[in-house]
Amino acid sequence: MNKDVHKLLQIKRYEMPSSDYFERFLDEFHDRQRADLINRPTLHIFFERLMSFFPDFQVPRLAYAGVAVAAVLFSATILSSQKEAEPARSFALNSPAVDVLPVSQGAQRLPLSMRADLPPHYVLETRPVSYETPYSF
Amino acid sequence: MAEPEAKEEISDEDLVARTQGGDPRAFDVLVRKYSSRLYGLVYNMTSNHEDTNDLLQDIFSKAYRSIKGFRGKSSFYTWLHTIATNMTINFLKKRSRNYRMSLDDVDSGVHNDPEFIELTSGPDARREVNLKELQQRLNEAMMKLSNEHRAVVTMFDIQGMPHAEIGKILGISEGTVRSRLFYAHRQLQNYLQEFLAA
Repeated sequence: MNKDVHKLLQIKRYEMPSSDYFERFLDEFHDRQRADLINRPTLHIFFERLMSFFPDFQVPRLAYAGVAVAAVLFSATILSSQKEAEPARSFALNSPAVDVLPVSQGAQRLPLSMRADLPPHYVLETRPVSYETPYSF
Repeated sequence: MAEPEAKEEISDEDLVARTQGGDPRAFDVLVRKYSSRLYGLVYNMTSNHEDTNDLLQDIFSKAYRSIKGFRGKSSFYTWLHTIATNMTINFLKKRSRNYRMSLDDVDSGVHNDPEFIELTSGPDARREVNLKELQQRLNEAMMKLSNEHRAVVTMFDIQGMPHAEIGKILGISEGTVRSRLFYAHRQLQNYLQEFLAA
C-alpha cells in the first residue's frame, strides 16, 4: 500500500454537506416514497414484491438465447403453415381455383380483373389520381 | 428524569426485523444511521453532490422495497453497501463522460484535520497547496480510475473499510481487492505526483 497516496485520499472524507442536509434528507426521502407509490404501476409493484421473495433467483443468461431461438422457430412455423394453407392464386382461365365460385353467385361480386367468365383484363379501370393534373386552368 | 431506553442503540437486526414487520419508523432510524456514510461512498465515486443526492434517495428507496427479501445472510451494513455500490456503478456507466464536479458545499472541517495540516504546513512543496485545488485534483485523479478501482479506493482509503468487508460488498476475493488497490494507488501516484513530492 502506498502510504502517501492513502494519506492524501483521506482528505476526501471531509467532502460532505452540512448536518442540515442529512436532517432534510429524511423528509425528502418520505416525500419521494409517497410520490413513488402514487406513480408506480400496480403490475410493477406486484412484480417487485414477488421478486423480493426470491432474492437469489436470477435468470440464466442462456435462457434469453433459448427464448429468442424458440420465438424465431415458432414464428417460422406459423409463417410456413400459413403459406401452405393459402390457396394458389391463379388467374388463368383453366385454373381449378377459379371453378370454386359459381359464376352466377360469387363471381358477379368479384372485381372485373378476377372474374373467370371474362377474358384477362390488364388495363387499369380507373385513372390513377396521380396522373391527373394538379391544377385545372 | 433520564430516559435510558431512548438512548440505547438498537441493533440493525432489530431495526430490519421491525421494518419487515411493517414499521416504517424503524427504517427511518436506519436511514439516519447510514445516510452520511453512504453519502461518502457515493460522492467519492461520482464526484458530484447533485448526483449523489439523487442516487442516495434511489438507494434507500430500493433498500426499503427489497428489505422483505433480506434474509440476514450478510450484515445489513454489507447488504446496503452492496446495493449502493451496484447502483452507483450502473449509474456511472450510463452517465456521460462530461461529469460536473461540485465542491461548493465542502465542509470546512478539513482545515482542522491533522492529515491536512501536515500536508500543507511542511517545509516542502506541499506548503502552498490550496485546499480547493487539491480537492479538485484529487477528484480528477479519482475519476481517471475505472469504476471498479474507484470503488475499492473509496471504501479502503477514504472510508477505512477492511479488505475482507470490501470483498464481500463487491463479491470479489480479498486478493482481488488488494491487487485493485495496488494498481489504483500506482495510477493515483502518477496523477498526484506534485502533491506527493517530499
